[in-house]
Amino acid sequence: MPTVTYDKQDLLNLVGRKLSDEKLEEIINSIKPNVEKITKNDIVVEHTADRPDLFGIEGLARAIKEYLGIKTKKFSIKKSNVKVKCSKIDYRPYIACAVVRNVKLNDYFIKSLMNIQEVLHETFGKKRKKVAIGIHDFDKIGHSIKYVGMKPETKIVPLGSRKEMSLKEVLEKNPKGKEYGHLVSSHKLWPIYIDSKGVFSFPPIINSDRTKVTDKTKNLFVELTGTDKKAVLQTLNIIVSNLAERNCKIETVQVSYDGKKEITPVVKEETMDVSLEDANKLLGISLNEKKIVELLGKMGYDAKAGKNKITVNVPFYRSDILHPVDIIEDIAIAYGYNNFEPELPKVATIGKAHETEKLSSRIRNLITGLGFQEISRYVLTNTEKQFEKMRNKKEDVIELENPVSKEYSCMRKYLLPGFMEFIFSNMHHDYPQKIFEIGDVVRLDSKSEVGARNERKLCCSISDTKVSYEDISSVLDSFMKTFGISYMLKAVDHPSFIEGRSAEILVNGKEVGIVGEINPHVLTNWKIEMPVAAFEISVDEF
Amino acid sequence: MARYVLTREGEHYLKTGLPEKNLVDVLKAGPLTLKEAERRVEHFNVALLWAKKKGWVDLKFDNLVLIRPPHSVMEQDALRKVESGEELAPEILDNLLQRKLIEKVISELEEVKKMAGKEVLHLTKDLIKTGVWQQVRFKHYDVTIPGKRVHVGKTYPYKAVIDDVREKLIGLGFVEEKSPYVELNFWNADALFMPSDHPARGIHDIYSIKKPKHGKVLDKNLWNRVKATHENGWKTGSKGWGFWDAELAKTLILRSQTTALSARILSKLKKEDVPYKMFIIDKVFRPDVLDAKHLVEFDQCEGIVVDEGLSFKHLLGYMKEIAIMLGAENIKFKPSYFPFTEPSVEAYVKFPKLGWMEIGGAGIFRPEVTKPLGVDVPVLAWGIGIGRLAMMKLGVSDIRYLYSDNLGWLRNKEVIR
Repeated sequence: MPTVTYDKQDLLNLVGRKLSDEKLEEIINSIKPNVEKITKNDIVVEHTADRPDLFGIEGLARAIKEYLGIKTKKFSIKKSNVKVKCSKIDYRPYIACAVVRNVKLNDYFIKSLMNIQEVLHETFGKKRKKVAIGIHDFDKIGHSIKYVGMKPETKIVPLGSRKEMSLKEVLEKNPKGKEYGHLVSSHKLWPIYIDSKGVFSFPPIINSDRTKVTDKTKNLFVELTGTDKKAVLQTLNIIVSNLAERNCKIETVQVSYDGKKEITPVVKEETMDVSLEDANKLLGISLNEKKIVELLGKMGYDAKAGKNKITVNVPFYRSDILHPVDIIEDIAIAYGYNNFEPELPKVATIGKAHETEKLSSRIRNLITGLGFQEISRYVLTNTEKQFEKMRNKKEDVIELENPVSKEYSCMRKYLLPGFMEFIFSNMHHDYPQKIFEIGDVVRLDSKSEVGARNERKLCCSISDTKVSYEDISSVLDSFMKTFGISYMLKAVDHPSFIEGRSAEILVNGKEVGIVGEINPHVLTNWKIEMPVAAFEISVDEF
Repeated sequence: MARYVLTREGEHYLKTGLPEKNLVDVLKAGPLTLKEAERRVEHFNVALLWAKKKGWVDLKFDNLVLIRPPHSVMEQDALRKVESGEELAPEILDNLLQRKLIEKVISELEEVKKMAGKEVLHLTKDLIKTGVWQQVRFKHYDVTIPGKRVHVGKTYPYKAVIDDVREKLIGLGFVEEKSPYVELNFWNADALFMPSDHPARGIHDIYSIKKPKHGKVLDKNLWNRVKATHENGWKTGSKGWGFWDAELAKTLILRSQTTALSARILSKLKKEDVPYKMFIIDKVFRPDVLDAKHLVEFDQCEGIVVDEGLSFKHLLGYMKEIAIMLGAENIKFKPSYFPFTEPSVEAYVKFPKLGWMEIGGAGIFRPEVTKPLGVDVPVLAWGIGIGRLAMMKLGVSDIRYLYSDNLGWLRNKEVIR
């Protein structure tokens, strides 16, 4: 989740109190985010996904104030007469706007505005796909504001430029256009905000230079666009709640969709009842209503004690509160996690290892006793290694739809190819090299609800200047006899092995594995210069 | 004193009789053609040679005829004597040696006696048996030279750490469980109340399967309860997410968290199974690029405790107990966030010498998780960062060592104690 760097002095100014680095770190860590580093000027904080209201410096400062019991401002909002007409743009249908007055910009404020947009774009906004934010100088905006789809030839003077260019040129030439152009380029009409003076925003790409925020800006116009209405509204709430912390006055905007009118931001304080019994039971402590109200105050809630319950006003920017347990966690946070007395309940149960692991442990003991070094290879591999390089014809395996690299694009069905790779990378080490692995492969299985199953396998190999079938078959025999498993070897020709030097391993007449001397064709495929003999066997039914 | 032993041929004749004697025996019933005699007597060529030489048989036209049957066969008797270690007369001895039915054993004693007064390299069985060791000098070695290295068969270092943790968790009363790598999105996320649009469910965060694309959730009632919980909270007391993508829930993926197993286990848990404690240590898969901090697949270790009356205080109690079990001497808790638990906690522990490190996370499963799965009692869930713990125990800072393909490193790595 996002890691944000804040200006320490700005944070302390907003809190309104002098705090030592240690104290600041302790408070923030107690609330939930994690302080990664504090330097002379900066504080680096890693946030959790459930608290986007803390991403901005003002939101973080508000939480610190509440935690310290410093009085915070009550959020208020007024109606403005600003209206925005929203036409239908299928692939980016939702908007939300607000007017922000009484803006006293300074370096801290400007930096904060940039930071909050960046972090919300990255997280909530899914790199501007789900939500994109534009902030403008309200006084530079004309009347008749509309959100419409326009042709790529439409002109704009993009932010930071004096030259008018088409939206298409923005995508081709402007760095932001190159970065985010793919979000609109496949469509016929592109979204823009337009007023009586022309285009002033090209979301989710860039603002116009005309409406840019400067040090003379007194009032702001905040516009959002996106694909998810809930996310668009929540993002606006976070922005306006933050700006209000800098003494700005927030005003609503009327957005009309095809005649249907909506007022944004949607600032609704919901109430939720928390039962006293539920809270105490879940936390394992016993607090009264009054104490809980007090603790909730530390976490920014307005709460009222009732009979055996607490009625809690959930701040409008707390989009993470779905269930009373979410509020109960905040009670625990205010109480202090390290103030709980950890207690081990007397839960009498009998521990047990999984049969597969128990068996694997025994096999591991036995094979290491034969002088073999255990290795461990990735389950993810590719079909070239599994089949082609082994001279095997391709079999069905679990392949990935979205591999990160060709190297890891399917699940292994055999352990042996991983051994070839291992032996190749270790040709400079002493011989003989006796290695083994006991691990899972994945097989397709139409009877399973997931269409596949894991299978536990054992693979052993010996590599040396001279190595023969008998060297490996004697290891196999010692292993099988010690495990008390009667088996038979059936001569079989297999393309991975030398003709006349490989056999199927049969248990109860069923093929469970193969043993033999690796074919020099295969060795050459892997660039291995030493002979190798190996066996691979499924142990699931042992 | 010379000693003699039977050769293989001698041993064989002792058992089956000398060939010439066997030939005489079959001829007692009357003459036979060469062909017939050959068919009936083993080692016929040897038999014919010696029987003729001794004048017992003769060849008349094509028939073999017994002419002078022997009263006794000296060699037969001699073979028996050699076997039981008795002495033989010199003539018969030469005879048997010539026929290669016996061989002389060279006396070690003679050889060993020659060593008296000399310097020897090795103390041998013969030196000890004969007492000659008292008359030799043993060459002095440079005993300060370290011995030649032999490669010991060893467990993979990371597996050894995992086995150690496994053993300790079993000791704490946890039952080990497993589930397949290929998993339904439903179990990996939906049943854990992660919303369909959760950031950790995107194509950059989770591997999906090419073929087959979809799996089945067999319990239709469960499916409907999870659906309702996402859409409107069902009977859990939650607001729900307001939406659910059923198609996504059916898709197959590689599990990205072992918590998928916890959901599966809880869905099958019966009232009489409680109290119940389970753990898993196994692989999960996330589309990361392999580097010093990220593996393409890594292990998770987590568990659940299910019982009436469990609380947050008990969750902290388990975290503390697990930390102590792993050798930590101090523990601190910090609020945290996991999509499926509330409250959630992160634990930091202090190890002697190594200092503070984050050991894992825990929480109480949300009602939106447990209720649709049919569980009405609290479920404590915890996880340990097993990879990080192993790196600490193995003294490595590059996570790729957990899947090292360097045989030299594997051979030289000391065992975990």
